[in-house]
Amino acid sequence: MTAAESAAREKVYEVDELTRVEGEGSLVLQVRKGKVVEARLKIFEAPRYFEQLVVERTPDEVIDIVARICGICPVAYQMSAVHAFEDCFGVKVDPEVRALRRLLYCGEWIESHALHIYLLHLPDFLGYESAIALAQDDRPAVERGLRMKKVGNEILAILGGRPIHPVSVRVGGFSRAPRRSELEPLRAPLAQALEDAKETVRLVAGLAAPAFEREPRMVALHHPKEYPYNHGHIQSTDGLDLRPSDWDRAFREVQVEGTMALHARTKDGGTYLLGPASRIVLDAEQLHPVAREALAATGMVDAIRTNIYWSILARAVELIHAIAEAIDLIDSYRPPIEARVAWGPRPGVAAWATEAPRGLLFHRYEVDERGRVAHAQIVPPTSQNQGAIEDDLREFAPSVLDLPDDEATLRLEQLIRSYDPCISCATHFLDVRILRD
Amino acid sequence: MMTTEITRPERTTTAGRWYLDRAGLDDLVAALAADGRTVIGPTVADGAIVYDEIRASADMPHGVGDVQVAGRYRLTKRDDARVFGYVVGPTSWKRWVFPPTIELNTGRRAGHRVEFAPIRPRPERLAFIGVRACEIAAFGVQDRVLDAGPFRDADYAARRASAFIVAVQCTTAETTCFCTSMGTGPEVESGFDLALTELDEGFLLDVGSPAGQQLVEGPLAKAIRPATPVEVYTAAADVAATRARIGDPLPTAGLHDRLLAQLDNPRWAQIAERCITCGNCTLACPTCFCTSVVQKTDMEGIGATNERSWDSCFSPGFARVAGGSFRSRPRDRYRQWLTHKFGTWWDQFGTAGCVGCGRCITWCPVGIDVREELMAIAPPIALSPEPTRVEPVAASFDDFVVAQVVATRLETADTVTLTLSGADPAFSKGSLGQFAMVSIPGFPPLPISISRFTVDGIELTIRGAGPATRAMCALKVGDQLGLRGPLGNNWPIDRAVGRDLVIVTGGIGLAPLRPVIHALAADRRRFGDVRLYYGARTPADILYREEMERWASRGGIEVHLTVDRAGPEWEGRVGVVTQLFDQAQWEGANAIAFVCGPERMMQATANTLAGRGVTTSRIYVTLERHMECGIGLCGHCQMGRFFVCRDGPVFSLEQLGDTFGREGI
Amino acid sequence: MAAMAQKADRGRPGEHGHAARGGTPRPRVGVVKLASCDGCQLTILDLEDHLLELSEHFEIVDFPEASSARSNGPYDVLFVEGSVSTPDHLRRIGELRKQARVLVTIGACATSGGIQALRNWADHDAYRAAVYPTPEYVESLARSTPISEHVSVDFELRGCPISPEQLIELLTALVTGRRPQLRDEAVCMECKRRGIVCVMSAQGIACLGQVTQTGCGAICPRMGRGCYGCFGPREQANAAGLARWFQASGERSAEEVGQLFAGFTAYAEPFRSAITDLGGTRGARRSGGGGFIAAGGTGAGRASYLAGTRRMEGIDDDGR
Repeated sequence: MTAAESAAREKVYEVDELTRVEGEGSLVLQVRKGKVVEARLKIFEAPRYFEQLVVERTPDEVIDIVARICGICPVAYQMSAVHAFEDCFGVKVDPEVRALRRLLYCGEWIESHALHIYLLHLPDFLGYESAIALAQDDRPAVERGLRMKKVGNEILAILGGRPIHPVSVRVGGFSRAPRRSELEPLRAPLAQALEDAKETVRLVAGLAAPAFEREPRMVALHHPKEYPYNHGHIQSTDGLDLRPSDWDRAFREVQVEGTMALHARTKDGGTYLLGPASRIVLDAEQLHPVAREALAATGMVDAIRTNIYWSILARAVELIHAIAEAIDLIDSYRPPIEARVAWGPRPGVAAWATEAPRGLLFHRYEVDERGRVAHAQIVPPTSQNQGAIEDDLREFAPSVLDLPDDEATLRLEQLIRSYDPCISCATHFLDVRILRD
Repeated sequence: MMTTEITRPERTTTAGRWYLDRAGLDDLVAALAADGRTVIGPTVADGAIVYDEIRASADMPHGVGDVQVAGRYRLTKRDDARVFGYVVGPTSWKRWVFPPTIELNTGRRAGHRVEFAPIRPRPERLAFIGVRACEIAAFGVQDRVLDAGPFRDADYAARRASAFIVAVQCTTAETTCFCTSMGTGPEVESGFDLALTELDEGFLLDVGSPAGQQLVEGPLAKAIRPATPVEVYTAAADVAATRARIGDPLPTAGLHDRLLAQLDNPRWAQIAERCITCGNCTLACPTCFCTSVVQKTDMEGIGATNERSWDSCFSPGFARVAGGSFRSRPRDRYRQWLTHKFGTWWDQFGTAGCVGCGRCITWCPVGIDVREELMAIAPPIALSPEPTRVEPVAASFDDFVVAQVVATRLETADTVTLTLSGADPAFSKGSLGQFAMVSIPGFPPLPISISRFTVDGIELTIRGAGPATRAMCALKVGDQLGLRGPLGNNWPIDRAVGRDLVIVTGGIGLAPLRPVIHALAADRRRFGDVRLYYGARTPADILYREEMERWASRGGIEVHLTVDRAGPEWEGRVGVVTQLFDQAQWEGANAIAFVCGPERMMQATANTLAGRGVTTSRIYVTLERHMECGIGLCGHCQMGRFFVCRDGPVFSLEQLGDTFGREGI
Repeated sequence: MAAMAQKADRGRPGEHGHAARGGTPRPRVGVVKLASCDGCQLTILDLEDHLLELSEHFEIVDFPEASSARSNGPYDVLFVEGSVSTPDHLRRIGELRKQARVLVTIGACATSGGIQALRNWADHDAYRAAVYPTPEYVESLARSTPISEHVSVDFELRGCPISPEQLIELLTALVTGRRPQLRDEAVCMECKRRGIVCVMSAQGIACLGQVTQTGCGAICPRMGRGCYGCFGPREQANAAGLARWFQASGERSAEEVGQLFAGFTAYAEPFRSAITDLGGTRGARRSGGGGFIAAGGTGAGRASYLAGTRRMEGIDDDGR
């Protein structure tokens, strides 16, 4: 059928399955007389009740448990939890432990960003169903992505025992800190990865992205001296500035009617965008010089600000940053005197936010006098981004309604994938439907 | 000055024996490295002594000791700088001569043909520093298993032949050691290139092979000097003291037959409730040699590498065939292991599979002690007492040595403590719980417990209950008496290391336990909770009152008191000592108990302790019998199969069995 | 449905001369999930060095996380991640079984019910109400269960997440047509082979290595902590014996010992019985009380958004 026909007859498009995202959900787009009347991202991940599973557990047990919310970014969960507890208990870790935690986060960012760019998102831009299909035509490109992903995983494995659900993060530091010699083997692959990442920026900057413009409210951690991982203040493009423990002074969670998903909104009900694009916009000054230079060379900071499709570029720039910083951290690493400082629990509220690869991740625990969790609240980045995703879909959908169905849905899926949604975190399986009545 | 003689000199001579000071260890390491060897020795890693590559003596432990009991290992700080002041750690040299995993060969399919290629890595030249007697014995066992024919493990043989061995004589022992029982130590006799015995500032160095001799004559020549007689004597004495400390924890006479006769013993099933069948014992063991081969294939499934790894008879799959496992139950697997180590190994290899290093005891995560299990399953035919047997020092009936009273202290209205000096020097080697035969001419000699060991003598606490004891209580400073001893066995305080200890006693019964409490307080960290339950007739009859307060306040010992009768000034408990347990919160699964008092009181106490989970093998009592000779020759104190004076007076209830408390024995 | 058309044919599997061994069709492989974190299927993508080689030996027909290509079976080999935890899962697993010649469950969720199976000791309604303000929209079963409780399973890969080495071994075994060599031994064995000092004997750290299936490479002891059992109980695991030791050695109450087993494979026997015998899970006992649930919430309404915009002064590194 032609686009004109479809608009005239107000027919129903259905796309059941959005793939290459981490999780299961669905998109419902209600189109009436060529106009989008409702855009809703529904998430149908089976509930696992993590906030209940951690009740009555000790802080170190919580760190192990919350990692299982997401197999893609377990370190992010461990980091938000460990900093929340340390903030509450007044634990001061060794500076080298702080550096090691940055290195650990570098590993996760490298792994996650390389995965997303090459295995999940790039196939959209190049017209393939998967990276494996892409590899049959451009094997070097896919191998480049896998190489970077591998070095990220190696960092995680050396520091944490394994890439997925590493085991060494403990309140007070690490259960074990690596010897310098253990980090040495990372140097050569990281040097290669840095070149690969620069090449990645060149590659993605040259992609053709759909025309789209919307300037969302952007939120990210900001630290005057470093690109944000674990520290800094929650800031926004409209002037918000909060301690990372105080997320709930500005934001709140709501369960969306008809779904099991909790979305986050600002207290005034507004939506906001987290993730690489927001960080690039708010924290460009703190990027590693190599990454800053690569970003400048693209001349596309404004594109990143206004067109979510260019998040792939933001992610690529962050890939350079994480790799370059990992190299610096390894160069200056000295094993901490105490891998893990002693601590004692205190009752109170333990809350913190860190920057997961896909954006700000907030944890809040009420800790009782025995040091056990009495109540927990975990706000993953994807559930915070959902509002912005829906805003974008509403804004963007009219421009694709004239396209053939598969083209239209591809564009919509690609838009959603731009957020690197981790639906295992929020929930899984994205099921896109366009209902035109 | 160099001797050309290669054989090991006699212990008593100084000829061909050298002294290497502690700094000289670096010369030794350097000499071995210069010989193209990778040097493996003790290092401190992850809370244990771990054998690993070393480049200098600084990589080795200095001033580090260890405490080992069943299921528990801790490093301690020594108050000296000794490098070998601990016993064996978790790693064994097996790791280097028989590595955990090696690649055997590769295979490949090519069309209808197959090809194989062996992988024979040339082993590195190694040197081992710090090999103990039990570990040298373990090499011997492995040699018999792997390299004595008719089939040989070439990889093992090559690695073993390439290793240079620097042995170390043990000058310390832990509760898990039983090389003495297995006949493997603590003395290093042969099977080494060089042997060290650590002294305060350096080492006595012995040569055991031409390779060792070359080192001594060559690169080490400048670092050594001939040893002095004092150094030789001190080294021998320290090793002998280690032997004495270990004792003979596992009587092995006839063990092979005893054990193999017990295949249906119900104890196997009981062990299986405790045993996790994790396999730690077998992999920690320096002689266990079981392996499995796993084939790693490539993704096409046509090329493969065969990899051999340590395996364990405790893993369920180890004895599996298509129809199931031959040893499907955990009890079968425990029985397999123990009967092989101590029984059928002899039939196959002409040696036991055990060298008494104790690793399987320390590193059993649930603290199963093979010695305890062997003694329970296959008890010695003539049961010898569990507490350490003390070598007789005063062998004849009438060998009294004069000692002088240097102080007296009135403990209660009828009890006096005499401090004696000038006693037989043998007393300075006496141990906790021993007694002396005490004689004042004119009175019959009496056995009196030693209540304290002093620098040059002992203390006796005596209650004047009869003519002889009243005469003793009446002695003044400067008076003399006759002593014979020390006699009898001792409280097995080593068994209490790492455990909670409960001491229950009444009246004068506290006297023989006083040295135990002193020893505990001096080395408090080695023990768990220590609780003293003590009953006296009246508050005025409480012994060692001031001292007791110090035990409680500074010694880390919980002291609970009760009296039979009390006046209004007494705010404590009234009643028999077992009533003190009523409010106690502890459980006895980990505890050991020492009990001294009248037999009825001990019986009641034993029942109460049993109710709290202290098993009969961990309840020790001291028996009172009529004693005259004190050395098992007069027959007075016979009780069943024991002479209380010689085999006791300390016995475990398990030893005594149903003779304890039985009328008319 | 499935308006997501196959992309231009150049991406279609099997058309690029990669069919293995004389043109035999490559086995059709699917990777799907139920309730899980995606970490196990990510392990497939983490086989970086083997990933492309793998695609030459297997035709990946369903792997939503990695590919837009979809099929609904049949599969020669189907990897299933996640536990059965919703009514929809119950229905799907039966269908998937029918479509799969060889069904492989991957990970602690699929093989034991996962961490979410801790709710099996609890009041499910209370859990649901505590996490979600309008629980009536939340569809889930009272228990989270392993797939083998519902359909027959051909192979299991344990772990949270699975081990890449074991995954490769299984895949190569499937290609070759032999049985995978997966050791049924304790973590301790691998720990000792690697020369790691036992954290339990040397440091008194509680470790489940003795009762836990090997496969992880003993990473927790290697990292200086105790094994938390994420590969699940090994064959004939004497969990009761270990629990008795933990209690008898005097440092842990029955409740604390129970918590040691209440982890990622809690619902697998004999860990399940150990937990139940020691009094169930702490969290479950607590969730029984309604007061706790009422105390939940999101911290809303404590400060206005504007109040949050106040610039804070004297911020150090952590904002302290």
